[in-house]
Amino acid sequence: MHPALNRQRNIIDFTISSLLRRRVKNLSLLAVYTLIVFVIASLIFFVQSLKREAAVLLAEAPDIVVQRMIAGRHDLVPEAYARQIAGLRGVREVTPRLWGYYYDSVFGANYTLMVPDRAAPGPGTITIGSGVARNQRIKQGDLLTLRSAANAPLLLEVQGILPYASELVAADLISMSRSDFQTMFSFPDGVATDLAVSVANPREIATIAAKVAELFPDTRPIMKSEILRTYDTLFDWRSGMMVVMLAVAVLSFIIFAWDKATGLSAEERREIGVLKSIGWETADVLLLKFWEGAVISLTAFLTGVILAYGHVYFFSAGLFQHALKGWAVLYPQFRLIPVVDAYQLSILFLLTVFPYTAATIVPAWLAATVDPDAALRS
Amino acid sequence: MIELHHITKRFNSGRPNEFTAVDDVSLRIAARRITVLKGPSGSGKTTLLSLIGCMARPTAGRIVLHGIRPAFLPEGGAEDGIDISSLPERFLTEIRRSAFGFIFQQFNLVRGISVLENVMLPVYPTGAGYAVVRERARSLLELLRIERHAAARVDWLSGGELQRVAIARALINNPSLVIADEPTAHLDSRLSGEFMAIVADLTSEGRTVLIASHDPLVCESALADAVVEMRDGHIIGAGDAP
Amino acid sequence: MMPRASTLFLAVTAVNLLVGGLLLLHSRVEAVAAQPQRDLRRGLVRDWRLTDLCLFTEARYTRHPSMADRHAPFQDHPVALEHFPSGSLLTPPLQMRPHAPSP
Repeated sequence: MHPALNRQRNIIDFTISSLLRRRVKNLSLLAVYTLIVFVIASLIFFVQSLKREAAVLLAEAPDIVVQRMIAGRHDLVPEAYARQIAGLRGVREVTPRLWGYYYDSVFGANYTLMVPDRAAPGPGTITIGSGVARNQRIKQGDLLTLRSAANAPLLLEVQGILPYASELVAADLISMSRSDFQTMFSFPDGVATDLAVSVANPREIATIAAKVAELFPDTRPIMKSEILRTYDTLFDWRSGMMVVMLAVAVLSFIIFAWDKATGLSAEERREIGVLKSIGWETADVLLLKFWEGAVISLTAFLTGVILAYGHVYFFSAGLFQHALKGWAVLYPQFRLIPVVDAYQLSILFLLTVFPYTAATIVPAWLAATVDPDAALRS
Repeated sequence: MIELHHITKRFNSGRPNEFTAVDDVSLRIAARRITVLKGPSGSGKTTLLSLIGCMARPTAGRIVLHGIRPAFLPEGGAEDGIDISSLPERFLTEIRRSAFGFIFQQFNLVRGISVLENVMLPVYPTGAGYAVVRERARSLLELLRIERHAAARVDWLSGGELQRVAIARALINNPSLVIADEPTAHLDSRLSGEFMAIVADLTSEGRTVLIASHDPLVCESALADAVVEMRDGHIIGAGDAP
Repeated sequence: MMPRASTLFLAVTAVNLLVGGLLLLHSRVEAVAAQPQRDLRRGLVRDWRLTDLCLFTEARYTRHPSMADRHAPFQDHPVALEHFPSGSLLTPPLQMRPHAPSP
């Protein structure tokens, strides 16, 4: 076997013997280290996957959504606006959207009720998202009772349930006919919740949005790019809980490294002296210290990342369920599509391995340069 | 065989605490013999050991080693011996690693790891094959009759057993020269006698042994071939053992 | 006879790297395999003109963050405390931020 390789292996042998002398301490260090990496890596995988999903799915969202504001709050938008906007050059079509929120006091869940502009269900029938079906434990053909704004019960037959794969976008949706929607909310004729504008040339979206705002100063056009950016900053590292997680992780790494960085104990110093006296050179001692740091941090990193991948993509991030669910009663179930973000993982690698390994080597530098005859003198 | 020509070692030159540990020492140490450097502490014998053992460089003078063949020299290049006082650091370390074995006063064994690993430790960084080294370590332990302790922690051994481990470790690289500094300082008379006996065996194997000690059991031992007396950095008496 | 410590370590590391490589492969394969489901979702977004993912159903502004107006979160007072845990996960939509870049 190649001498250079042998050298590394021999030194690793001693490194591990050395670490095993404080078995409990080092094993628990490894365990906690791995845990921290696991949590952060899980976050990275989860967030990246969701962001990618949002970017792909919401690329199909309406080009512009026109909301009407009164006294700074949402108001219904007259369909007359739609006709005028449709007349603008570059606008392909304007579709009024009818949708709203419904709170079901029996089940304690919030649903989104909507009227699709194409192939809407017939009056008295609805298509529901799989989350609603799960929440109410109903199946196709069952009746669903909603309480209208006039406080009258509305019975609707479930004509179809959306497939499980749609949960991420439609878990809480109830799609109904226009007449049922108007009955539900005492919704007047001639108005819509907002307008979905389709633009022929995507590069013109900003211009047309500006024109709409000029035409109707009481409206607020929301562009697709803004919708996408909202989701791009989803779970941003600057948002509340994420900052806390990140801070805890960074602090933990600092604490681990601190133990090493605050210098060597007298015993460690003596041991280095012994090694020097029996024929080890400074470079050999430093290599030993390097492996001491690398064995733990490398193993922690690899194991943590692998476990995180399994956690997020095979177990749908089960450990985050509680935090993500928050106070919601209806929470979508979905399997995330794996995304491996090399950039963020490299940063995590650097954060995990470098400070700890450096903290192990640097304090030993001075002790490692001691003269070999120091052991003779002591 | 080791030749020392007018060796001087001065510490802190030019400063108020300047100190001459070894002053103009000239000596010839015979090969395959036990030579004892006798003298009280502060006599410079430890410094002399470190100079001979390629651990430090003399301030003045030359040290020539005969009979060793380090890897960096071509065949037959060591006819006149090697002047180690002028060698670059790299070569010095190479010679120390390949030709010298050290036994320390405190044994200086690494606690918490096995006896076997302790014996193998000196050659770990050299890239030697693990199996070969382990075999050699085992045979050394067997030679010194402590093979049964191979897997034991050094913390559990008695003084005499530790002594043997220290000797085994000093021999792992098959050195031509064995240097021991106050080896009997922590040993009783019986163990001191045993030590001298083991060391005598080494010379019969063809090794040169150099011991620094002020213990009469060593200096006046019948097994010591030459005793060199030192005081204040000078040699005050050199001659064969009584 | 116990194997060498370094052998164990290198073996563990090798296994880790191997598993890592397999998982990387898995991510590629899975991405392709999940395409039909993704296409289903895309179709739904397109046909029903949806604007948000259904992640947090606690409140209006958490269910449709991209549609949220300035008042929705702060019904009582602009400096009211956050009601829902998801509020600590969601940052305000870009257009709500004081120095929002103009389109």
